[in-house]
Amino acid sequence: MEGASYQRFPEIKIREMRDDFMKFELRKTDSSMANALRRVMIAEVPTVAVDLVEIEVNSSVLNDEFIAHRLGLIPLTSERAMAMRFSRDCDACDGDGQCEYCSVEFHLRAKCIGDQTLDVTSKDLLSSDHTVTPVDFSEAPATEDATDNRGIIIVKLRKGQELKLRAIARKGIGKDHAKWSPAATVTFMYEPEILINDDLMESLSLEQKKDWVESSPTKVFDIDPNTQQVVVVDPEAYTYDDEVIKKAEAMGKSGLVEIYPKEDSFIFTVESTGAVKAPLLLLNAIEVLKQKLDAVRLPEDSVDADDFGELGAHMRGG
Amino acid sequence: MNAPDRYERFVVPEGVKKVSYERDTKIINAASFTIEREDHTIGNILRMQLHRDPNVLFAGYKLPHPLQYKILVRIHTTSQSSPTQAYNQSINDLDKELDCLKSAFEAEVARFTSDY
Ligand SMILES: [Zn+2]
Repeated sequence: MEGASYQRFPEIKIREMRDDFMKFELRKTDSSMANALRRVMIAEVPTVAVDLVEIEVNSSVLNDEFIAHRLGLIPLTSERAMAMRFSRDCDACDGDGQCEYCSVEFHLRAKCIGDQTLDVTSKDLLSSDHTVTPVDFSEAPATEDATDNRGIIIVKLRKGQELKLRAIARKGIGKDHAKWSPAATVTFMYEPEILINDDLMESLSLEQKKDWVESSPTKVFDIDPNTQQVVVVDPEAYTYDDEVIKKAEAMGKSGLVEIYPKEDSFIFTVESTGAVKAPLLLLNAIEVLKQKLDAVRLPEDSVDADDFGELGAHMRGG
Repeated sequence: MNAPDRYERFVVPEGVKKVSYERDTKIINAASFTIEREDHTIGNILRMQLHRDPNVLFAGYKLPHPLQYKILVRIHTTSQSSPTQAYNQSINDLDKELDCLKSAFEAEVARFTSDY
């Protein structure tokens, strides 16, 4: 039985887009959808992260579990994660979590021989799969003497100290452990609608106008040097702090400005850890949300059965 | 030592149904749906989508307890519809909205990369 559709047709506009950052406008939908996308991007888009560490030699100053924890937090490129299996429901390895469908193996060997301290970094973590490697944001190919591009430091070794280990990276989600979250931050704000009462504003002296413009903690308003009129320079700088509204009231000019959040218009910022590129993070979030909805759908036959039940209830005087 | 496994929060245990519903015994066309291992992400979009359906007289959800990994969705409809029908319709509409969002975003990425 197919009912009428009450679907929405959202619109999207990208403002900025890089591999690790994206800013976009989402319109013609409501805050529940905006928040669902935000929550999924943070906690439910899968990535790959180190989950099991076997330490062979560790004579460093950090203990084994400290190092294992640090390894887990290193972002690994996870473009492939959506297609991978979770170890717990992998048939190929009986949930062992050590096969090619659900895991990636890493090796790390480092020993300090000289008098100089040796930095063991994410670059020393050698992957068995070239698609899953520690995230590297440096643009140019690494030059040998580049001091500013040595990856993420895991531990520092002094003369004679050694670290030798095998690590297994597995697919997971941020809900399980934050190390699997592909998002550094995801935020959205309502786009503000700022309406200035022009007549009331013109009743203010230039000095009063300046005073009022200054009352906003962020630079939302300014005074046009030619016309001496108050203009909105940056509506999105407004933090919903109500300061300008309170100021207007204090000046005896209530209703000088009205500010509403547009209920169907959002400005998103997405910062990625680098595990999944920011634009792909949104696409994956949409996909994950679709899968979640699919899982909670009632089978068609149980819906039809319910209609019969309803009829039966009527007939029984229900 | 006796902490529950972290995956308890999102993996439906064996023998437990993901969605079940129970019709109200007193009110016709009202039912409570129990959705296992879901939270505000699904609960809130479902509720808001159900509110767009004029045949839905009431739709609400709750997360009964943060350590009980399930949500309860309650729906009351007019006789023109039924709770199960409204429920599935809202899921279908959300699914189509996401399809729409996906293609809109892909088109926007293409436009953005060609412009800059
Ligand atoms: Zn496996």
